[in-house]
Amino acid sequence: MLEARGLRQHAGGRQVLAVDELVIATGDRIAVVGPNGAGKSTLLRILALLERPAAGTLALDGVRLDREPARRAARRRITLVDQRPFLFRGTVQANVAYGLRARGMPAREAEPRALDALAQLEMREFAGRDSRALSEGEAQRVAVARALATAPDVLLLDEPVSGADRAAQRALYAAIDAARRARPLAVGVASHQLEDAYRWADRILALHEGAVSPVTPENLFRVDLAGGGGLKRVTLGSVGVDVPTERVGPATLAIPPDEIILSTSAPHTSARNVLEGRIVRLAEQGAAMRVTIDGGGIELVALITRRSYEEMGLAVGSLVFAAFKSVAVRVF
Amino acid sequence: MNQAADVVEIAALSLRVALSATVIACAAGLPVGVWLGLTRLRGRRGLLLALNVALAFPTVVIGLMLYLLLARRGPLGMLGALFTWQAIVVAEVVLAFPIAAALAAAAVEATDPRVMRTALTLGAGPLRAGWAVAREARAGLAAASVVAFGRVLSEVGAALIVGGNILHQTRTLTTAIALATSQGNFSLAVALGLVLLALALGVNAIIQMLQGRGNA
Repeated sequence: MLEARGLRQHAGGRQVLAVDELVIATGDRIAVVGPNGAGKSTLLRILALLERPAAGTLALDGVRLDREPARRAARRRITLVDQRPFLFRGTVQANVAYGLRARGMPAREAEPRALDALAQLEMREFAGRDSRALSEGEAQRVAVARALATAPDVLLLDEPVSGADRAAQRALYAAIDAARRARPLAVGVASHQLEDAYRWADRILALHEGAVSPVTPENLFRVDLAGGGGLKRVTLGSVGVDVPTERVGPATLAIPPDEIILSTSAPHTSARNVLEGRIVRLAEQGAAMRVTIDGGGIELVALITRRSYEEMGLAVGSLVFAAFKSVAVRVF
Repeated sequence: MNQAADVVEIAALSLRVALSATVIACAAGLPVGVWLGLTRLRGRRGLLLALNVALAFPTVVIGLMLYLLLARRGPLGMLGALFTWQAIVVAEVVLAFPIAAALAAAAVEATDPRVMRTALTLGAGPLRAGWAVAREARAGLAAASVVAFGRVLSEVGAALIVGGNILHQTRTLTTAIALATSQGNFSLAVALGLVLLALALGVNAIIQMLQGRGNA
């Protein structure tokens, strides 16, 4: 179990990460989500013991990871795959065997295991290729194979599917799931592709400007709130939205996806805010459906039950009305 | 011995001195440079500064200091090393070490930071991770060796002081050129100069070739 407490990191004189508590238990599947610059990569590098935080502690199975020998030992159990992974000179197979060789395994044992790891990622035929002759997506899968070959306890992946096509993405997640079935493995994935994160992860950690955000990073809108108390009218895209807040000046509005009600005809509700748009994306999330609506110049994500989804007969391109109460809008 | 045989002997000695000094200086300097390029220890900046100052050290001063050390009444006088080709090698090592170390550090600093990170996260210890960085920086390390060799081969001040320019013993191409020029024997000086140039170009070409093969 990897525990982080009171993590703080600074860069260029400003705080880029503030995570008070994060526990990754064996078998966990955590997605770290947030826009670019939210601190996802910094958090992963700190958890992978590749960067020391300005403040805070890390512990693995109760052992504090402050001193270098403990950190070095823990690095053999926690591994990170970079967003743009680096492949060493040489063949793909030699790359995948690197972690095993670093653990003192002789080449005759490490090489077949490297081939197995490549096969899991459907990359076995790449074994003899020059590592520098791969596409970005191929390099990413080789890097995941290389990480899985070391049989880590915690596997951290920074945007693992950014350069991959859909088939490669499926192979990648399937390989990680197969590894999880074979042995206890916790996985942390940083992603800005929220649909993937939600579909795949058991827990979501949302980061916003380095801090853990109370809301997931969707339906977030930067606004400038005018003076005067009470209910304020702000414009999102071309849609006017009423927000009860005392705040003045720049702020972020968040509309939680599970507070949005969808209907196929104009609703007659007390909800003050209604947006008309077409469905542009649909994704499963457990027993629910994530519906992305494009309307009035903004995208809105709504979370509805699978049953409502089926009853309404929704599909990509359907015209829907999204309604939410003013009090559901969070301002921070 | 005729003049042609002398030239061959002098060129061979020059090559022996330069190669020995380069090998020793690089064997010590490149790992130190790689370490300096990677470490985040306090005092690293100071060490790099010291190396850069050493780069600009006048060769005659190094020759003089070694002369005083190796002279019969000096602290290392009992070695009897003054006016031997080995003494020239020592002087050239002192000259070439900072070159190898400073350029290796610069080459490592210019390496993609992901190399170290990747090696560490895959479970490599600091030595293996450093080796991974050195492998990726090998073009820069080869360049450091070439520059060190060029410096050693063309050096004259220290070689003259600690070697003494003794024919058949410590006369190198550079000291022979200096002597021939001072004696007004310009045709010999030019001929020796051409041999020196050919040697420098030849060895550099071989290193470049090896480096090209390594990158393939």
